[in-house]
Amino acid sequence: MKRESILYVFLAICLTFLLLSSGCTEQQPSGEGGEVRIGVVASMTGAASTTGKDIWQSAELAAEEINAKGGIYVSGLGKSVPIRLVQGDDESTREGGQKTVSKLITQDKVDVLVGGYSSAVVSAHQAIVAEYKVPYIISGGSSTSVSHRNDIDTSYMFFHRPNTDDSGEASILFVDQVVRPALNGKFGFSEDRPLKLAVIYQDSPFGKGQLDAVKNVIAARNLKIEIIAEEPFKMGESDFRTVLTSVKAKNPDMIYSVTFLNELVPMTQQARRDVGLNTLILAIENNDDPDYYKGVGIYGDGQVMESRFSPYAVPRGSTEEATKQFLANFDKKYGGFAGMMGAATYESVYITKEAIEKAGSLDKAKIRDALATLSMPQMMEIMKGGVISFSPDFRESKFDLYVVQLAMDPASGEPRPFIVWPDNLKDREFVLPDWYTPGSS
Amino acid sequence: MDGTIGILSQVAFWGLYSGCIYILLATGLNLIFGVMKIVNFAHGEFLMLGTYITFFLFVISGFNPYILLIGSIPILIIAGVIVERLCFRPILGTGKLNEIFISLGLIYIFQNLVALIWTDEWRSMRSPYADILINLGPLQLPLDYLIIITVTAMILVSLYIFLQKTALGRAIRAASQNRKGAMLMGVNVEKVDMLTFGIGAGLAGAAGTLWAVSGQVFNPYMGSIPAIKGFAIIILGGLGSIPGAIIGGLAIGMVENFTAFTLGGSWKDAVSFILLIVVLVIRPTGLFGEDEE
Repeated sequence: MKRESILYVFLAICLTFLLLSSGCTEQQPSGEGGEVRIGVVASMTGAASTTGKDIWQSAELAAEEINAKGGIYVSGLGKSVPIRLVQGDDESTREGGQKTVSKLITQDKVDVLVGGYSSAVVSAHQAIVAEYKVPYIISGGSSTSVSHRNDIDTSYMFFHRPNTDDSGEASILFVDQVVRPALNGKFGFSEDRPLKLAVIYQDSPFGKGQLDAVKNVIAARNLKIEIIAEEPFKMGESDFRTVLTSVKAKNPDMIYSVTFLNELVPMTQQARRDVGLNTLILAIENNDDPDYYKGVGIYGDGQVMESRFSPYAVPRGSTEEATKQFLANFDKKYGGFAGMMGAATYESVYITKEAIEKAGSLDKAKIRDALATLSMPQMMEIMKGGVISFSPDFRESKFDLYVVQLAMDPASGEPRPFIVWPDNLKDREFVLPDWYTPGSS
Repeated sequence: MDGTIGILSQVAFWGLYSGCIYILLATGLNLIFGVMKIVNFAHGEFLMLGTYITFFLFVISGFNPYILLIGSIPILIIAGVIVERLCFRPILGTGKLNEIFISLGLIYIFQNLVALIWTDEWRSMRSPYADILINLGPLQLPLDYLIIITVTAMILVSLYIFLQKTALGRAIRAASQNRKGAMLMGVNVEKVDMLTFGIGAGLAGAAGTLWAVSGQVFNPYMGSIPAIKGFAIIILGGLGSIPGAIIGGLAIGMVENFTAFTLGGSWKDAVSFILLIVVLVIRPTGLFGEDEE
């Protein structure tokens, strides 16, 4: 009897929880109902939850700022309407992404989608977006296999991020223009000696896209860079010791890593601490996040990263003030700093506002058309030509990318980034760290 | 040649380290299965809890993280006892489906509880010996990993002595060999169940402590993959067999690392499971499993 009672109480709790979590409230129509619904696709749980939280909080901040100023003016309605964000947790998985995007579109009836992280996750739910024709401003999913695909209709998808070709090119140009001369100068190598690069990449569309981009740039520009190792690893991996041992045996001058944040931290730590691989690790922009600097600690000292938004290295110039304001507002609201994915999502909400105001309607086709011809001033990330617009071919925005080098900050006990490339943005010169050991001559 | 031997030895060493974590996890899992015959998919969550409890104790006390095993193992034993009492005891013998759903529910409960308390950010901690290297012939081995291997061996020896030399240990072995027979001989099997589940959770917690001390990152969702590996190991080694869990754990650790070295990191799980399938085809009861009577 007692056991049955406990069972009934347990079932009642489960039922209550299910009812609450399923959002069983009547949906109001958007627009006429007095709001613009923006679905935020973010990895709130699972392996990429740190980045997901950053995405959601930044979207929240942008929506609050816009709502505080009256919301989005929709001329077709003759009034301004506030933004209501709807959270869609993709659970850091393909299936989770499909589930939540379906729900955002069919149940929550969102007008626009923003966010999306991980090429693997985004590519899995693109078909749903294509079917329902909902404008989607994607700030992650950088592989060209996501934005250049032609097996589905991607005309409602707009990519506010550099693709793997763009970031791969910037990174390799930095290696060729800065690292290789520094190496040759310090160790007396011949000018003809190719820099020996090992690529450790996530076995995913993102990782493979970066690897292809690196190879293409080296071949197209006939650079003196030789890829001596290509080491894939499974998404979510945390033990890189054997892969790094294998790379060490090939004597690289540098490692090009294509990782998520939770993979880069252990890789960097294990390289120097466990394997004794005292080489430079070049990371990709998605890792420019406060949690990276906190997690990597002293092992990040001297390492380099391609970036487009850094919480601790604000490029001088026209985006400086907006960036500092965003970081200060974020810190005030959440107690900490946003990362690159947060910044891109924050901008995506403002892009949504601009597009809806331009369209004068919440009609999805009109919003799509407005996005396709959008031209708004850059906000925090430095854009080509100083404006945010989407290319006519694959609807991708174009960024001016830069590279930071990390140096330990005794006050915080964490490394901090400084821009070292390109020349027009750099804070200081790149230096080969004292602990650095080159590959064999 | 020396260089090649050095590299292969280094890879074998990483395999040994991975094997230690797997052995502790799988031994606990096998102990529970051997006595209670339940399938607990939430076993990896005890490892995850072990990492967080170690992290928490480390932050508040500043003690040497290896000393914290003295704290983390008992806490996990208590957690295991509570889980056994509240979740598995009521449904014991009511069918495998109930066990599976209870354990799946526990995964979500533990993950969300830990995310609520410590947030779901990736965390890591730094051992005081992180920068110390020991030269062993051609190898330069971090001291932490040598300690981890030694601690694992000590835990296994202690477990062996406990199971062989104490009355409680003999009761656990009796219940594992013949539950009804043990009951008829006066063994309190409910008490044995509770204790066994606690020890299994404690071993997973020890694996969690060593995981954290080795500098690996952890978050509330990190327990699922090790749990799957744990199940693969006990199936490979033989259900209910402690030596099977040890050999199976070592085998998976070695195979994973040599696969990563030769074929690349993306192949290591696939090859481990190919090994599992091959062993099961040749010997369906696993390496050390006994045929059903």
